[in-house]
Amino acid sequence: MPQIFGPAANSVARVVLLSILITPFLAIALGYALMRSQYVTGASITRDQPVPFSHEHHVTGLGLDCRYCHSSVERSAVAGVPPTETCMTCHSQLYTQAEMLEPVRTSLAENRPIHWQRVNVLPNYVYFDHSIHIAKGVGCTTCHGPVGSMPLMRQAQSLTMGWCLNCHRDPVPYLRERSAVFDPEWKPPAQQEEDGKKRLIAYLIDNKHLTDCSTCHR
Amino acid sequence: MTENLARPAGLAATHAGLDRRAALKLFAGGAALALASCSRPPEEIVPYVEIPEGLTPGIPLKFATALPLAGYARGVLVKSVEGRPTKIEGNPRHPASLGSTDVFAEASVLSLYDPDRSQAVRNRAQPVAWETFAGVLRTQMEQESARHGSGLRLLTGRITSPTLRRQLDDLLRAFPEARWHRYEPVNDDAAFGGALQAFGRPVVVLPRLSDTKVMLALDADPLGPGPQQIRMGRDFVGARRAQASPQDFLRFYVAEPAWTLTGANADQRLALPPQLIRNLALAVAKELGANVEAGNLPAEAQRFAELAVGDLKSRPGRAAVMAGRAQPAEVHALCHWINAQLKAPVDLIDPVDVAEPGHADSLRTLNEDVVAKRVQTLIILDANPVYDAPGDLDVRGALRSVPFSVHFGHYNNETAAMCAWHLPLAHPLESWSDLRSLDGTASIVQPLIRPLYDTRTLHQLLAYMGGAASASSYDLVRETWKARVPGGDFETWWRGVLTDGVIPNTAQQPAQVPAPKLPTLAPAQPPTGFTLTLAPDASMFDGTFSNNAWLQECPRPVTRQVWGNAAHLSANDARRLGLVDGDVVRLGRGDVQIDAPVMIRPGQADGIIRTTLGYGRWQTGAIGNQVGFDAHRLQSIGSPWVLEGVSMAATGRREEILTTQHQYQLEGEAHELFPILSIAKLESEVPRRHESVGGPATLYPAYPYNTYAWSMVIDTGACIGCNACVVACQAENNVPVVGPQEIGMGRDMHWLRIDTYFTSESSPPGFQPVPCMHCEQAPCEPVCPVMASIHDAEGLNLQVYNRCVGTRFCESNCPYKVRRFNFFGYASGQEFANLGADVVKLQFNPDVTVRARGVMEKCTYCVQRISGARRTAERENRKIHNGEVTTACQDACPTRAISFGDRNDPASGVNTLRQERRHYELLGELGTRPRTTYLARLRNLNPALTEEKA
Repeated sequence: MPQIFGPAANSVARVVLLSILITPFLAIALGYALMRSQYVTGASITRDQPVPFSHEHHVTGLGLDCRYCHSSVERSAVAGVPPTETCMTCHSQLYTQAEMLEPVRTSLAENRPIHWQRVNVLPNYVYFDHSIHIAKGVGCTTCHGPVGSMPLMRQAQSLTMGWCLNCHRDPVPYLRERSAVFDPEWKPPAQQEEDGKKRLIAYLIDNKHLTDCSTCHR
Repeated sequence: MTENLARPAGLAATHAGLDRRAALKLFAGGAALALASCSRPPEEIVPYVEIPEGLTPGIPLKFATALPLAGYARGVLVKSVEGRPTKIEGNPRHPASLGSTDVFAEASVLSLYDPDRSQAVRNRAQPVAWETFAGVLRTQMEQESARHGSGLRLLTGRITSPTLRRQLDDLLRAFPEARWHRYEPVNDDAAFGGALQAFGRPVVVLPRLSDTKVMLALDADPLGPGPQQIRMGRDFVGARRAQASPQDFLRFYVAEPAWTLTGANADQRLALPPQLIRNLALAVAKELGANVEAGNLPAEAQRFAELAVGDLKSRPGRAAVMAGRAQPAEVHALCHWINAQLKAPVDLIDPVDVAEPGHADSLRTLNEDVVAKRVQTLIILDANPVYDAPGDLDVRGALRSVPFSVHFGHYNNETAAMCAWHLPLAHPLESWSDLRSLDGTASIVQPLIRPLYDTRTLHQLLAYMGGAASASSYDLVRETWKARVPGGDFETWWRGVLTDGVIPNTAQQPAQVPAPKLPTLAPAQPPTGFTLTLAPDASMFDGTFSNNAWLQECPRPVTRQVWGNAAHLSANDARRLGLVDGDVVRLGRGDVQIDAPVMIRPGQADGIIRTTLGYGRWQTGAIGNQVGFDAHRLQSIGSPWVLEGVSMAATGRREEILTTQHQYQLEGEAHELFPILSIAKLESEVPRRHESVGGPATLYPAYPYNTYAWSMVIDTGACIGCNACVVACQAENNVPVVGPQEIGMGRDMHWLRIDTYFTSESSPPGFQPVPCMHCEQAPCEPVCPVMASIHDAEGLNLQVYNRCVGTRFCESNCPYKVRRFNFFGYASGQEFANLGADVVKLQFNPDVTVRARGVMEKCTYCVQRISGARRTAERENRKIHNGEVTTACQDACPTRAISFGDRNDPASGVNTLRQERRHYELLGELGTRPRTTYLARLRNLNPALTEEKA
């Protein structure tokens, strides 16, 4: 009778046994890493927009405040993207024939809105409110990154729940004074720990409720 | 060999299938696809081109308008999210709303988005353009004009709109021989007839319940479905607030043939056939000195009459009597006489509706004209006589003979099928109009959304009929009021009434009436055989709402039946005939025979069959077709509510009756869950209270609730069982409809349910609304394997939908059974009937997740509202004020039975309520420490009766 198991059968058996032990851990680690990768979270991915709007030019170059366009951010959950007429407040007088702005002019002329590609997206089961973050001293660039140096908008942070909880568990390193919330250049100063603790109390931030599920999920 | 090497690699199949290379390629491709599905699909943000003034994305707006029920207005405030209405709430400034709503108002928002709504003009079911119809209409009106309108008839429901009345007057002046007929199925013919007999002119009776201490209702249902339910409910409960002494507590006597909401809320209730209620009225009048013959009354009724009259006479100026629509006009006149003797605290006002001729007479005259071929042009405006006219008028046959018939309505319904033309009518939430409520208060109806389809309003059609090429309802309504506003700044006035939702100084003034005449009324013979009594349904009303899924699934107050109606029989009759629940019987009157399933109702009078209207429709839409049986066919134009000599025979068939509650007495344990206390003994008797004083011993440290501590107190004595809270919760929280099949399996989805408890078979039951208890020691929390059911720092028990895997352990561990599971994607992919249409999704509240299949859900104390209030307060650097957060159920409740607030706020109402003697926790002995607690119901029994029973 011919041999069923050749000389290599021992090695095969050993490799298979080893991989039964190792492969599940590797698979989970791969999954873990994958879910945090830029591919899944969308961080640092620049999306193509119908109009290549440059925050760098408008914010750093011209000095526009965030609220000029994202006007509802202090009152509403939604910061929003400005309506076409906001763009036209300037561009009806500046760069009126620029080819880059053709979609904007067309939008106003035909009364059809511009379809922007959404960059910072949270899942539908997360109920995020901009206005409360602004009111409590969390600045725009803390979450949205150095917008003033972005020629094209990208998602600067991973926006995962773990990343959000990082601040919700301990907001102290991120709290600014209210006048600095819209400062695109703000960096936490040396005494941020001390200042932050004071602001935690002054801004009536309830640490206990911040980590309740009902804060974001309802 | 050479051939094999030359063969291209890839998907070339070998004799055994895929070769190894192909398989590896497929595997890699599959893996890549799987990975690709992990990334987010691209999303777009689409802003406005020019943002409307006053609109901030993410912040809803509220607009005041009014909604009609049977033609009368209730003022509402409608929440508008990004240009579309999502939730209807009450208007505190409107006297028929008082800040609350009823089921019909709450559900109106769903009928706006009904996919079955009529969307196009139809000529014998063929869709055509409005211009086509306009041309034909012009020709027809010119022909009518030539004969002064002698062939023109208009049929409407009840019209209270001043603009419509003005337009109708103008039209009737232009066509002097045309006639306007009205038929509203739920009408006041008997009441107006009675007032005519007593005073010589029609009046509307508005009881001042705040001044009333004893009230006798003779087959009347003021707390039942209708445009006055909110106001009557509020006044009724206001007159029975527990802190009043027994002397000040309104004592309510009700005599009725079958259970209604009014009877369910009575202190003393007598089940009596309507014929004998007439004799009861005569007995009362005789005791007060009328020269009438009383007639026969059974012993129990005799005793009831003695007690009631004794009580009425003992409170001069504070006692009143009211009669219902099923009683003949003479009984109403008799009640006017009785009230005059008692100096009853009632207000009499001139009616807003046209009182003469009565609705029944109006329809009968129209029918005669049609049968006699006197009608060439029949325009039916928002009425459905083919369905809801009494069966002995053959409206369907008559309509066929009219040469030019037009139906203008919301649905392509039964009447539209019989007419030559059908026109789509705009929903009140998308039209400009005006309306008046029963007491005369006028409001402007303003649209919340541009018309979804190519519809018109009644104003526009009347303008077309008058010869206008085009018309704007906005201009027509403004024209009406410009004429009425004395001088001054109309624009400021206009903006003011649009903001308030109420036009000042439009309520009717009290009517000056002479002393009432005593009517001639012979006593009735006790009925032989079966008498069929009809009533408007608490969810369908007269059939208008049959395609509204929320209302079809809203359990009827006393029986908890859904998706159908039944023939209610008393227990004795059922036993005698050998019938049980679900047996189908054949009801016959004359030639008409209909089959109906039987439901046994303890506490119903013997010899009475009770059923409700609004069912058995055959052309209303996907939701309402073939649900229940049509009782209109048994109605008679002369006697629409009481039909004598109805035959009943068993057919041997059975039909399932769907209910959401199957036990009403719980083997006598209902009194533990739902204590009913006697107000006379409230001070002396220590009621059985289930306070968890400490509860079972625990090793865990007490949780320090030192932030907000949300809790709710529900006063079951104030709950009249109207179901407004149930539908309000459904509207606010995107609660899906599951359909009759799922209900049959016990899977109803309402987050808030109302339990009806009968502590004994014949005494009035009580209603207990049961939301989530938000237990401090919630049994549902430790058993969730994925921590989807958890507690938050403010005391709420949370359900995190995205964590839930559908174990359902929490549902089985909940002693109150308040958790609901999405067995199917009831709101996401597997909707019932046509509720998955895109237009229905416009109603969803964007602040609340729409749950997917396999996820548990339950009442959240409207956490989205708490969150919104907290964010608003924190933006302003303050705490949430007392009363700033109200739950949807609390807002909707007409009687303000639900109180919600922060227990840690000393000013909050819930703390005071928790100190009351009547306060108890549901199943408190289990140690769950529920945050939702109750106040026990009170009854104010006549002391003479209590002594007897004792």
